Amino acid sequence: MDIDRVREAWSAVRTLAEHDNATMSARHACMACERAVSADGVGLSLSRGSTLSEPVHATGVAADVEELQFSIGEGPCLDALAERAPVLVTDLADGENGRRWPAFAPAAVRYGVRSAFSFPLLMGAIRVGVLDLYRLRPQPLTKDEVADVLVYADVAMLLAMRSAQSAQTERHDIVGTALDERRAEVHQASGMVSVQLGITVDNALARLRAYAYASDLRLIDVARDVVARRLRFAPDEMGDTSSTSGDPDKEQT
Amino acid sequence: MTTADRQTVDALVGLVHTLVDDFDVIEFLDELCARCVSLLDVTATGVLLVDHRGTLGLVAASDEQTRTLELLQLQEDEGPCLDCYHTGSPVLSDDLERESVRWPRFAAAARAGGFAAVHALPMRLRDQILGGLNLFSARSGSLSPDTLRLAQLLADVASIGIVHERNLRHPEVVVEQLQSTMNNRVTFEQAKGVLAEHLDITVVDASTLLRRHASRTRTPLSDIAVQVVDGSIAPATIMPTPDPDA
Repeated sequence: MDIDRVREAWSAVRTLAEHDNATMSARHACMACERAVSADGVGLSLSRGSTLSEPVHATGVAADVEELQFSIGEGPCLDALAERAPVLVTDLADGENGRRWPAFAPAAVRYGVRSAFSFPLLMGAIRVGVLDLYRLRPQPLTKDEVADVLVYADVAMLLAMRSAQSAQTERHDIVGTALDERRAEVHQASGMVSVQLGITVDNALARLRAYAYASDLRLIDVARDVVARRLRFAPDEMGDTSSTSGDPDKEQT
Repeated sequence: MTTADRQTVDALVGLVHTLVDDFDVIEFLDELCARCVSLLDVTATGVLLVDHRGTLGLVAASDEQTRTLELLQLQEDEGPCLDCYHTGSPVLSDDLERESVRWPRFAAAARAGGFAAVHALPMRLRDQILGGLNLFSARSGSLSPDTLRLAQLLADVASIGIVHERNLRHPEVVVEQLQSTMNNRVTFEQAKGVLAEHLDITVVDASTLLRRHASRTRTPLSDIAVQVVDGSIAPATIMPTPDPDA
């Protein structure tokens, strides 16, 4: 991952949030992404498996087109989820795309949209959602723009997952935190905790993050403890989760 | 390094450089065919690829002589390359005199062109056969095992070149490919954790089990990893079968 590109993206998102006098959210990531590639609309939806579950953000023409994909059940957005890969459409008005999406393509074109670029938000095996960008004039994304969108998609995914759990004050070193989350141990720990608690891997990551925050620890250190089996998570009798460990000096939450 | 070794290394270096520098797939395959002639000590070579209709078509040859082109093109209907494409395995004939039953038209044309032996190596990408690399010799007899290994390597290089070309035409795909590779790594790490917890083993051992299972079942590792994480594979399936003699 290109670190400058990542830092610039976070900086752009933070600036937009500050303008709004708000904490950074997936919505700000969408807006920053739209600007970065000069798109005419952006939409972000969460998903459950291969189906769209919840729109998070969409403005202007994107709102209409996102709604189309939800109701028709067809479109580049859904293909990107199914294929777990970006679907980049330069011109929805072109015959081949009309055949590929016979209901969606003409309807989107009637709304004025010609280019559509859908990027699935993936956390390993988990499909978190999809980020869509639109253009009113057909124009493909350049290689640089694709690289930018991939970074913004990551940012949007992180922010969307955080707000889905709880509102937390952001750490100062948000980029460092984001990078921490890329470490192998973090994903291994997510896998282990998902089995320990009987939840999905992305929810397991959220639990780990919440535990780290509550204990004022770095996520990577918590992850290492889990992988080394110094720290386990278990559901208690009330169905809540608490952490236990072999070390009696570790605090229970 | 012997002269022969150096020639081989030079040829491979040249081909790989072409892949990373200015790249044109036809030029690349033509060069590959030409190098095959000297490296493998055969008389003529050609590359046939399957097109969108499922038929083999000529894309490159070591020379433009009629006999060579003819031999390659009539393999649409019969011949070693067609058999190679269907079976996915090398098809060898060290004496075309004996092949009038197997390939009546092809064998006759080959002999008329002065060829006595033929080898066809599959160009494979994972479970897809893209086509074949054909080697024609004026001398009867089979190529040595070492030469055949080198020939298969060159066929594999040709396959890479063809896939590479598709990537270059859509440069955004390369970037996306990198992202997808990174995400596959995340999935693999998640799968290690899930498996380690289920089987009460270390993540290192989980990694080994996953790799072995992928290799044993000839499934891509990233597919196995997704299935372990989403629960569509039972963890017990990944356990190695116990050795009955242990």
